[in-house]
Amino acid sequence: MTTTTERPAVATDRAETYRVTFPHLVRSEWIKFWTLRSTIWTLAILVVVMVGLVALITGLDEGDSDGDEGRVGALGVLALTPAVNLAALAVVVLGVLTITGEYTTGMIRSSLTAAPRRTPVLAAKAVVIGASILVTSAVAVALSYGVELLTLGDDAPDLSSPETQRVLVGSVLYVTTIALFAFALGALLRHSAAAMATVLGLMLVIEPVVAAVPWQPLRYVSPFLPSSAGGKVLQPDMVIDLQNSASSVGADLTAWQGFGVLVAWVVVTYALAALLLRRRDA
Amino acid sequence: MIEAQALKKVYGNKVAVDGISFRVQPGRVTGFLGPNGAGKSTTMRMIVGLDHPTSGSVTVAGRPYAQLRSPLTEVGALLEARAVHTGRSARNHLRAVAATHGLAPGRVDEVIEMTGLQSVAGKRVGGFSLGMGQRLGIATALLGDPHTLILDEPVNGLDPDGVLWVRNLVKHLAAQGRTVFLSSHLMSEMALTADHLVVIGRGRIIADGPVDDVIARTTRTTVRVRSPQATQLAELLAGPDVTVTATEPGLLEVVGPTAAAIGEVAAAARLTLHELTPVSGSLEQAYLSLTQDEVEYHATDLTPTNDPPPTGASVPAGAGTEHAEEAAR
Repeated sequence: MTTTTERPAVATDRAETYRVTFPHLVRSEWIKFWTLRSTIWTLAILVVVMVGLVALITGLDEGDSDGDEGRVGALGVLALTPAVNLAALAVVVLGVLTITGEYTTGMIRSSLTAAPRRTPVLAAKAVVIGASILVTSAVAVALSYGVELLTLGDDAPDLSSPETQRVLVGSVLYVTTIALFAFALGALLRHSAAAMATVLGLMLVIEPVVAAVPWQPLRYVSPFLPSSAGGKVLQPDMVIDLQNSASSVGADLTAWQGFGVLVAWVVVTYALAALLLRRRDA
Repeated sequence: MIEAQALKKVYGNKVAVDGISFRVQPGRVTGFLGPNGAGKSTTMRMIVGLDHPTSGSVTVAGRPYAQLRSPLTEVGALLEARAVHTGRSARNHLRAVAATHGLAPGRVDEVIEMTGLQSVAGKRVGGFSLGMGQRLGIATALLGDPHTLILDEPVNGLDPDGVLWVRNLVKHLAAQGRTVFLSSHLMSEMALTADHLVVIGRGRIIADGPVDDVIARTTRTTVRVRSPQATQLAELLAGPDVTVTATEPGLLEVVGPTAAAIGEVAAAARLTLHELTPVSGSLEQAYLSLTQDEVEYHATDLTPTNDPPPTGASVPAGAGTEHAEEAAR
């Protein structure tokens, strides 16, 4: 209230100093993201679940596999797959809530009033979620590998092998991309329960069912569903080859091609959400 | 300045706002009055770009809201529904909103202090009372020190202290040359706060003018006259612009001449008067007569209607009416 005596002068002055810019929006979304308890909780769960499950699998295996030395190296990579899949469920919740939480509480009205061009808000949110989960999952994967070094010793997967590198990097990217997919779907559906049911239903029910039903047309669809395709990047080469040779029809996607399909899902969902965000009443 | 041009909003087959045009000028408090469901909130949401008009346009400072480079320093808005994430503290909410414009962090503490939220600023908004939520909404609206302030039902849920505070705040801000646009379904509050009125009913503007004019145009001053010779007096007063109603023996209600004129007529005819009281029209009467055909939701009368409570009531009484109306909703 101190700056209002000389209004015209002050007005120009302030309009030049204070403006909505993309870095400002990212800063705002950063504050929003980290000032909710649910963020801290889900990210903690992500790390604990991933590292814990890897420790459990490799730790138990060590006891069982006496005398069968050759198998252990491959298992080291394999152990990461269920751990990453479980961690992905935690980030689905986080990705969805980041946007639907604003709709259920009405916060979206404050966000869009402050930034009426709307789509930059969505982009800023995606940047913040993407970066935060990328870093957190990288930490989780690094810790998981550290655990494997402890439990498996010399039998831990070899860091210099391209397969190990691909699985480790792929795990980080997969978790991040699944979070962005959940976020984009949340932005599209604007409803927490609906968006979570859709993503989790797809990952846990629809995709396994489609993959299991031996009806030929589904064979063509199954490899292109989001987590079936994206999940390839987590699998050892051996498993991918096995999957691809098991069916005579359908696409034989490589690990990175599969991941590309997941990215395409995210891009299309995000574009649709952005389009509707501009059009719909908030 | 806010300017609406043939602004229209249709939801499905329901017309919420039906092609309204109005201007909200700076330097005064403009009240936006209308019954529930009249289209006040929809209009305000269209001003700040949350709802897209079906047709027509509305501009703030000559531009559509979405084209403002710095919306928060131009317009501060408190919308009816709460617009705050319940899991975040009041201070963090304000920090996040301030960050969108790169506002100085000190501004957050300033508005917290201005709205009296110091003691709860660190608490999560989910636990806030309606009144505290409303104060936080006002704090958010004030963050950018805006030239235009849009407040939808700002006194809802506030205690008498808070009602008085909002009233003084908006008058103060208008006196600084800002544009203040304030909605309410409470006529008594408007009579005390607004300088200018835009009255809306069923999506249409039914009155637009200075508060006094709106009252004067829609109500007429009645004079209550009690006299033992009422019948004689009624004959003497009769004229083309005069309506005389005998409500009970010895009591007349006269519309037309002033109390002084009636007194002189009585004196000239040597008639005794026991009472001569001008009963002036109130904003409440004006509002009721303006909106009687425009109310969306009619309640059945359970009790015989008494005289409406006088407007210009003292603050606690005014606040009491509010709570009663709140409860009735």
